[in-house]
Amino acid sequence: MTSSSSPSRKALSKIACNRLQKELAEWQVSPPSGFKYRVSDNLQRWVIEVTGAAGTLYAGETYQLQVDFPEHYPMEAPQVIFLNPAPMHPHIYSNGHICLDILYDSWSPAMTVSSVCISILSMLSSSPAKQRPQDNDRYVRNCRNGRSPKETRWWFHDDKV
Amino acid sequence: MSPAADSAASKRQAELLKQEGNAFFKKDRISAAIDAYTGAIALCPKVAVYWTNRALCYKRRNEWVRVEEDCRTAIQLDSHSVKAHYMLGLALLNKDELAEGIKELEKSLELGRGAHPASYMVEEIWQELSKAKYIEWENLSSERVRQLHKLKEACKEALRNYNSLDNPPAYVPEEQLNELEEVFRKARKSDIPTEVPDHLCCKITLDIFRDPVITPSGITYERAVILDHLHRVGKFDPVTRETLEPHQLVPNLAIKEAVHAFLSEHGWAYRMR
Repeated sequence: MTSSSSPSRKALSKIACNRLQKELAEWQVSPPSGFKYRVSDNLQRWVIEVTGAAGTLYAGETYQLQVDFPEHYPMEAPQVIFLNPAPMHPHIYSNGHICLDILYDSWSPAMTVSSVCISILSMLSSSPAKQRPQDNDRYVRNCRNGRSPKETRWWFHDDKV
Repeated sequence: MSPAADSAASKRQAELLKQEGNAFFKKDRISAAIDAYTGAIALCPKVAVYWTNRALCYKRRNEWVRVEEDCRTAIQLDSHSVKAHYMLGLALLNKDELAEGIKELEKSLELGRGAHPASYMVEEIWQELSKAKYIEWENLSSERVRQLHKLKEACKEALRNYNSLDNPPAYVPEEQLNELEEVFRKARKSDIPTEVPDHLCCKITLDIFRDPVITPSGITYERAVILDHLHRVGKFDPVTRETLEPHQLVPNLAIKEAVHAFLSEHGWAYRMR
């Protein structure tokens, strides 16, 4: 799962563009700890490196998050997935899709790339075991033709992890 | 114009001509639109909208002298016309009357705030106003920097002369020079671009407020953007997630004043990224 998972892309709206430039400037001054983003000339897709926090199951491991912004960001959530290989986690599918409510139904335009990153890291940090979700194989099979996780109807049945 | 010209029949006729003009304008048939509005004006010269609509046609053609004429007439008829002040401002900027142009744009922004959320012009006006204000700031600040530099050199020279009365000639203690530098650095401070403080920026746009409104949760947002959020995403406050309906939004006048005060001291903040 790499480029095939990118949503059909329309250019960013003016509001989206302005807002992302501000977020980028802010990120460069103070990036969330544990994350690295090397600025590219593509404002619409950020590939961010995340390092597992010390004292957790993922300590020292690094993974890549791919964040794609829709035309009407931040009125619509960005699409966030892990690039292959995705961390083993009860809420992360092997195709990189992440079951996290704020990325879908609970998105709010007051959230930023930075706050989303922090939520994902805290989700990793609180993991009790390195394992895939129970329905991993079925879900991944259903996503074969490059479906975006934003098209999934998620069930957020477990908010303890 | 005889009193009969304003009769009900000619009013109807003028209104029809305006609609025709609007239709032509939409199809980009500007000459035809101008003719239609001109007809409407001939029948009912006291309706400001006919003049502003025709001005919009001239604006499209970059005929700024005519834009100015029509807008001035429109303002005489309706001093609250957002569009008339806006286009007059643009016309004035176009002939390099910066200060006057800015005044008109500010007037239209003031009138446009909150007024018609449906036909929202605030953002467009703001963009044009920002460009003009930024140019104004560049002019003023480079003049200020030049003046300060001159003054600083004069002060250094005076220090040298003063100290040389009983010290070795031209000797000035390091400390005094540093303090002098510090004084002048502080004097330049508000002209050096930094960041706009967070409390003057919308939590959604992350940009400085144009038309701030406050929610019952106490969070302030840019009006157009929070309305868009309520329409597209859901009826909740984006920060606190409490239920929120459009009618609960109230203008935040204190923040509006604070933005105004900040911008008048820090013109660089008008820069569009």
